Amino acid sequence: MQWSAKRIARSPLWLLFPIGVIYGTLAVMPLALIVRFSFAGGLKQYRAVLASPLLARIAENTVVVSIITTVVAVLLGYLLAAALWRSGPRLRVLLFMLVLLPFWTGVLVKNFAWAALLQDNGVFNELWLVISPTHKALPLLHNRLAVIIGMVHYVLPYAVFPIYTVMLSIDQRLERAAKSLGASDFSVVSRVIVPLTLPGVYAAGLLVFIISTGFFITPVILGGPADMMIANLVDFYAHQLVDFNRAAALAVLIVVVVSVLVFIYQWCPKEGQYGKA
Amino acid sequence: MARREACESGRTPLSSPASYRGLRVSGRCLLLLACIPVFIYLMLPTLIIVPMALTKGQIIQFPPIWISVHAFADYFKDSQWIDSTIISFKVSILAVCIACVAGSSAAIALHGKTFFGKGAVVGIILTPMVIPLVVLGLGDYLFFTYVQLGERWLEIGLAYSVLVTPYVFITVQAALAGLNPLLARSARSLGAGSASVLYHVHWPTIRPGIAAGAIFAFAVCFDEVVIALFLQSPDATTLPVRMFTSIQYELTPKIAAVASLLLSLASLALLAQAFLPRQRLSPR
Amino acid sequence: MVMDIVIPGLDDSANREAGKRLAGRHLDVRGVWKAYSANQYVVRDVTFTLKPGELLTLLGPSGSGKTTSLMMVAGFELPDRGEIRVDGKNVAWQPPQRRNFGVVFQGYALFPHMSVLENVAFPLRMRRFSSSERRRKSLDMLEKVGLAEFRDRRPADLSGGQQQRVALARALVFEPDALLLDEPLGALDRNLREALQLEIKELQRRIGISILFVTHDQDEAMMMSDSIAVMNEGRIAQIGSPRDVYLHPRSPFVAGFLGETNLLRCTDCEFDGSSARLRFHNGTVGHAQAPQEGYRRQSPHALVSVRPERIRFLTTEETIENVIDGIIVDCTFLGNRSRYVVHALGQKLIVSSTDPTLSQHACTGDSVRLGWARDDAQVLSETDN
Repeated sequence: MQWSAKRIARSPLWLLFPIGVIYGTLAVMPLALIVRFSFAGGLKQYRAVLASPLLARIAENTVVVSIITTVVAVLLGYLLAAALWRSGPRLRVLLFMLVLLPFWTGVLVKNFAWAALLQDNGVFNELWLVISPTHKALPLLHNRLAVIIGMVHYVLPYAVFPIYTVMLSIDQRLERAAKSLGASDFSVVSRVIVPLTLPGVYAAGLLVFIISTGFFITPVILGGPADMMIANLVDFYAHQLVDFNRAAALAVLIVVVVSVLVFIYQWCPKEGQYGKA
Repeated sequence: MARREACESGRTPLSSPASYRGLRVSGRCLLLLACIPVFIYLMLPTLIIVPMALTKGQIIQFPPIWISVHAFADYFKDSQWIDSTIISFKVSILAVCIACVAGSSAAIALHGKTFFGKGAVVGIILTPMVIPLVVLGLGDYLFFTYVQLGERWLEIGLAYSVLVTPYVFITVQAALAGLNPLLARSARSLGAGSASVLYHVHWPTIRPGIAAGAIFAFAVCFDEVVIALFLQSPDATTLPVRMFTSIQYELTPKIAAVASLLLSLASLALLAQAFLPRQRLSPR
Repeated sequence: MVMDIVIPGLDDSANREAGKRLAGRHLDVRGVWKAYSANQYVVRDVTFTLKPGELLTLLGPSGSGKTTSLMMVAGFELPDRGEIRVDGKNVAWQPPQRRNFGVVFQGYALFPHMSVLENVAFPLRMRRFSSSERRRKSLDMLEKVGLAEFRDRRPADLSGGQQQRVALARALVFEPDALLLDEPLGALDRNLREALQLEIKELQRRIGISILFVTHDQDEAMMMSDSIAVMNEGRIAQIGSPRDVYLHPRSPFVAGFLGETNLLRCTDCEFDGSSARLRFHNGTVGHAQAPQEGYRRQSPHALVSVRPERIRFLTTEETIENVIDGIIVDCTFLGNRSRYVVHALGQKLIVSSTDPTLSQHACTGDSVRLGWARDDAQVLSETDN
């Protein structure tokens, strides 16, 4: 193909110029720099990162917390999506607002609120002290549970929307057909609706998992020292150890893993898996 | 007529379907009931922020000692916090402006085109959404140690512009979905140059998309911590970074006051987006 | 496409197996009313009977209440009042899963996540048949509709005709009291539609189930039905055999909905047995069929319906019960027939003729004599306004 100057000027592809400049300088260059730093001294940095017992512990923590978050968020998200799907138009607008407001609230605001709720003289503990015989506050903050509570709260809207989209694509006649064939309400749900929404559940789970693995702020504010996640480790290498080569190597590893997950997500059918039959 | 009246008066059916109807409704009620705790969980943090900020005390506690606005006054009197707020506004506005230009022009460029590799191009444009923030932050830090602009807030703003361009791209693309690509061609055949096509055909269509994308992009910028942590300097500490470091140190009513203000900003953004006109100008 | 929908011939053993025919039960719908909002009745006093083995069609324009009526029989809507009886037992308040009707929906509503066999076995699973029995019965039914070798396919991989057969098999496998079909052919193109109409008819003949069929297409209704209930504005306007409702419509709506017709106004109308003597506007005397006993109305005005294809062009010496003079104002050649618009009796009459010699000679402006037999004119019992 001939890319003469005239041809480019006539085709609106020149409109890609601004985004090209921005991405070229502010995305490609930084990522290239990371790769360059990571290969300082050959594979030495990677070896050091992978051999570190810190990585193994933090990676395990990241995966476990992300999986729990994903499972809880998808279960609750399914419930919310079903409620949205089954409510009348007015109630649906209200419920949408209820889902969207936390979505728009910043992660800092939400985490601050959870910290205020879960701390020793927070709402839950003050209520607990009223009924508790021992008058000792429960350790709710700075542990894994607090991190999961905060993370599920953040990712829940991301779990609701893919499932809700799939529910909307279900032909309402299928339900009637099932009933006419003798299915009870329970059978309609278990044999027709749940199987048909599974693609949405998978998509939501993968999306939530990808988001969960990238958490940085929540483990710091709501978690304790042992609740560090993988993103915090990059920060730890860069700011505490001031070892940018090692931070870069870890960053490259993260990008590789996330790319694989994103690739799977792209291939995961999101709606109409079975076509319109 | 007589028959109709007879029917109205005799609406009670011969054998009552009430139990059956009741059963049918109850499935939905059960679902909604099961959702109530989840909605409380969703709303609870949002709901407690403002009451926490209105306390008379010097620490965040429950129940708060009502009612005082001293926390808000503390915030407005503290020059460090106000400076951070201004920095955050500067950074966000810069990033949103760049993102609007880059994101919407890219959406127009790709509108109605089919060529080999278009999917890959769209994928590349959306990539910043899935790269972990900590990776972007590290890369930006390394980049700006080589390319020093002198002004730290400029660097943060530029770094954010990449982060939020995908959002503008998506919303503008959605706005353009209602526009028949043939419209641009027919305008061209009627003698309009590239600039006139942009102004008369694309601009009216994408305006709501740009507005929606800009609002969301602004909200993202105003909440971003990780990249700003890497790029911060004493004279360029954004509001989220200041909040983040303060929260780790102590939970004060002042932070609750800032959080309340951020919350009202988020609610405004949500309302703006909900009531934004979504006109479709092209004939269907 | 055509290959696809040919019904596989049944061998003798299959025919003997088919000797165990389903007959269906007596379905009685009596005085059913339904309103969605206060006083906005979409179904008014609908009454009909579906006899075992019969195919009854509810025919009407959209919004006439035909689908709502079917949905009340199926149990998806509750009637405000009235009874739906199966062999005398009122099922009007039972939920759909407790009734025993096979429903085939528009678009078929096959479960996309199940194979053909699983789809057909679904109603048996819901009825807690053992897995071996489920398999035997569903394979049997798939054999009957000629889809046994497709049992492991997904519905999306089947053609429209095959999907319909799966839907029918699924609705028949549990030996329902009747089959309810809600415009199953609505979204299909004409050729496929006609082939599938024949297929349903054939299947019904073979299996012997009674069918309640809903459609807005009068040709479809004519082709398939044992009886037709014409619905309009929530009411059954007329119910009878296709021949009966076509040739002896009771109202202008029924006459017009089942095909093109000429409505002639007349002033005088006297009934004498099954025939009527009437006088048209210009004084010409005519003869027509009287409405059935019980539907006759004494009125100074009456309407007579005459089908365009029943009006003949007469030569000067021919004579028949009704003879009028007119002038051709328009003629259109339509291939298998010609359509004339004739000005007569102070109005425009449509005449449809298959006579090829006539179409060559008759032209606009010609004076003609028109005639039709007494049996081809029907006095309507209602005037609609």
